Formats: sequence, C-alpha cells, structure tokens
Amino acid sequence: MIPGEFAINDLFLGAAALFIVLAIMMFYRAVMGPTTQDRLLAVNVLGTNTVVILALLAAGLDEPWFLDIALIYALLNFLMAVAISKFTVERGGVL
Amino acid sequence: MIDAIPMGETLYELAIVVLIVFGLFFTFVSAMGVLRLPDIYSRAHTASQTDTLGAGLALAAVALALGWQQATVYTVLLLFFVFITNPTAAHAIARSAAESGIEPWTKDSESEEGESK
Amino acid sequence: MAAERVLVPLSDTVTVRQTVGYAVQSGLESGEELHCHLVVALPHEADLPESRQLTEEAAELLSKAKNWVREDAGSASVTVETSLLGTDEYLFGPRDFAGAFDDYAKEHDIDTVILDPEYQPGATAQMLQSIERELDAVGLAYDEAPVERPARHERLVGDGTEHFDRLFATFWISYAFYLVLGDPTYWFDLVTGAAVAGIVSVSLAHITFTFPLDRVQSPIRTVRFAFYIPYLIYEIVKANLAISIVILRPSMPIDPTMARVNARVRSGLPLLALANSITLTPGTLTVRADDQRLIVHTLIPSAREDLFDGALERAVRFVFHGREAAAIATPRERGDTEVLGGDDR
Repeated sequence: MIPGEFAINDLFLGAAALFIVLAIMMFYRAVMGPTTQDRLLAVNVLGTNTVVILALLAAGLDEPWFLDIALIYALLNFLMAVAISKFTVERGGVL
Repeated sequence: MIDAIPMGETLYELAIVVLIVFGLFFTFVSAMGVLRLPDIYSRAHTASQTDTLGAGLALAAVALALGWQQATVYTVLLLFFVFITNPTAAHAIARSAAESGIEPWTKDSESEEGESK
Repeated sequence: MAAERVLVPLSDTVTVRQTVGYAVQSGLESGEELHCHLVVALPHEADLPESRQLTEEAAELLSKAKNWVREDAGSASVTVETSLLGTDEYLFGPRDFAGAFDDYAKEHDIDTVILDPEYQPGATAQMLQSIERELDAVGLAYDEAPVERPARHERLVGDGTEHFDRLFATFWISYAFYLVLGDPTYWFDLVTGAAVAGIVSVSLAHITFTFPLDRVQSPIRTVRFAFYIPYLIYEIVKANLAISIVILRPSMPIDPTMARVNARVRSGLPLLALANSITLTPGTLTVRADDQRLIVHTLIPSAREDLFDGALERAVRFVFHGREAAAIATPRERGDTEVLGGDDR
C-alpha cells in the first residue's frame, strides 16, 4: 500500500465520525419533535445519514460488502417513511 | 511523502477531499435546519434537499475512492435511490402533516413563536 | 311520454362498449324516445402540441360510439349527439370534469348521466380522486353502468403489442438490476436472474407502467432525461447554496408561504418527475399533488419566484414531449399561480 491511501482511508473514517456527530444532533429532533411528522422526518434523515456512514465505512475500512447493507437500508428507510406517514393519516387503515 | 505521489494522484485525492468537505457542510446545514427552523414544513425542506445533496456528495466521494470495480456500481445505485426516494419521502411526510391539519408557520406568527423560545 | 336525455362521458376503457349499450337500453326503457349525448372530455387544451393526437383519438372514439348506439338502438328512435368538452378550457382534476359535465347537462337539459365505472378522461394515468365524489358534490344525478370487468385493467386498443412492450421493458429493467447486484459472468446468477425477472415482469408490469409505452418515444425520453439530470443538479446546487446562507445567518430571514401552481404536465410519470424536481430544489417542497394542482411550500421569496417562472416545468415538458412543447408561457403569465394564506384547506 502506498502512503497516500492510508490518508484517504483515515479521511473517510474521520468523515464517518463527523456524520455520526451530526446524526446525534438530529436525534434531538427525533426525541423532542412536537408532532409525529417531525419525529418521522428526523428518523428519515437519520436513516439517510446511516446509509452515508455505512458507505463511508465501506470505503474507509475497505469492506465493500457494507454497501449491500447500505442499499437495503436505503430502501427500507424509504418504505418506513411512506408507510408511517400514510398510517398517520388513515390511522388503522390498510397501509 | 506527498512529493512521491504523481500530480494526477494529488488532484484525484483533492477531488475526494473537496467532495467530502462539501458533503459534510451540507449535512451540517441540514442538521442546523432541522434544529432551528420553526415548523414541520420548513424542516422538511432542509431534511429532504440539503441532506440529499450532502449524502449525494459523500457517496460520490466514496464512488471516486473505490475506483472502477463492482462496489462502485453499488454506490452509484445508492446515489440514484437516495435522489429518488428522499424527496418522495419528504413529500409523503409533508402531505401527511397537511392532512392531519398542521398549520404552516408564517412570518405573522413569529411573535408567538418568540415567546415560546 | 317525453324523450329521455342521457349524457355518456366516454373514455378509452375496456368497459366503454358495455356502458354505451347500457345507456341505450336503460334509456329506451324509461322513455319512448332517446337523445343520447356522447361526450369526450379532454384533459388538456387542444392546441398544446402533444394533445393533437389525443384530439384525434377522441374524435375516433366518438364516431365509433355513434355506430355502437345505432347498432344497439335497432328500430327505436334514438338521436345521437356527439361533442368534445374541454377544448377551450383547461380541465384539471375530477372536479373540473364534473363541472364541465354539469354545464353541459344544464345546457342540453340532460336527465341523467351514465357513467362508465372505469371512466378515465384523457386515458393517461389514473385520476387521483374519484369522479363519483365530485359528481355528487355538484349535484348531478348519475347512474353507474353495470359492466363486467375483466380481471386485468387493460386498454381496448393496441392490446397485444402494448402488453408485450410493458412485459419486455419490465423484464429487462429487473434483469439488469439483478445482474448489477449479482455477477453477470456467473451462470447461476444469469439463470436465477432470468427467473426472477420473469416473475417480476408478469406480476408487476401493469403497475410499473401505468401509461402505454411508445417504442419510438420512450427511448427518446430516456435520452432527453439524461440531458435533464445535469441541469437539475445545477439547479439543486445553486438553490442549496442560497438556502444554506439563509439558514446559517443568525437572524434566519425566512418567509414560508404556501403557493398553488397549476402545472401543465400529465398525471403519472411526468407529474411525479415535476413534483420530485420541485421538492429536490431547495426552498420549494411539494406538499400536495391533486392531479395537476400542486400545493408547494416555499421557504424563501426567491425560490417562490423561480417556481412561478416555471423553468423546471418547461424542462419536464421537454423531457416528455420534446423541444416544441417546452416553449410555453410561464405559470405566472398563464395566471396559474396563487399564494395561499394560512388556511388553504
């Protein structure tokens, strides 16, 4: 391995750490959000951040299979947001 | 150490660094927006769009770093999904907020908002 | 006994033939004479480039239906009148259609409306709200024709090739996706991928493409869409910077308002593309999309101005209908914009 690659890997790990800090900031809204939709929105953003963190870790740790998890997570996250926002409107209705 | 790396390599790394920095910046703006903005509709703006751009830039950096291999295809797919699904999810959430009768915050209601802060 | 006057709105569905038959039969039962008014409501202004073909199709449908009425009437005295609605006005959703039918009914002294249960004006995508509810709202009496529906909702014309096109497109898209995730050189993945894509295309082709594919137009649209992406990214980055400045300013000078824009794109995929593009551009967020009526929440005034200038709308029209269709007046010039107060509902 050439030295430059170490620097890039560290950069990705550092970025992942910063993304986690930002995710924790968003967590405030998920906990405090006055309405259900606020919480839902915050959780959705957290999901997107998780996907990004997984991708950054995949590059930083050189584990490409992390991306499979990220892909599934992105799709599930989308499904969750749509399903719950539909559920809050037609409470008890068929999703 | 840097001197040993050819010029093209440095440019390449620079591109990755720039993408990551901007990705972090936009995600930071998104987080600030979600925390600071007054109501669900305006929060949905930053949550869906600024965050999408931040995520997109970070994923682009990952794709660039991985180079030409199969994992890169995954990253591009991921990027595509994020760009399609994020606005749709934000729309679903905003619509659900509108249908459960949440009133949008306007400049006029600022005074009331000020008291609660 | 007085003549019975019925209004039959037609659209290109599998059940339209049965609806006409029912209208003639039930009309002759309740009156000696029957005035049958056949109308086709067009969802777009007839002079827009892409709706010329729609107008032709509508005229064709009307003449076909006229023959059906003659066939069914036999020796009974039936007069047929045909008409195109919506050529001089812009019909948006079911509410406008119901209103147009109501106007027509008042003008021609119509007794009852025979509605095709599958009725879909414009034969593009599903309407987002039921027309029955809107007809109730305007107080127009209607009778739903009892028709037998086939299990799958397929369109009457061009059945075979259209069905094949959908299957074909869905199959290759899902197969390609499978192989991207798997390994395209490994025989096991090739076989299982073909099986999975087969199952997906048979079961989901009708959901994936709600509008008929065009063998020439669809690939061209895909290419034009590729041109659209860089433009969209440029818009996103530009607007994102503007929003970032606003949010990071300690005073946060935002001015959120709800605005309504009537977009001139069709329901279905074009509307989805437009609504998603509007949402992706920061400062504007599509809250509701009731057919072509978009309720958009705007965060800062400059974003609202951009929205009313309709650049994105023009771009989406370019993607789906070509350069010629993109040159239309901005929503502001058309008077299709409105800033809503707090209580828009």
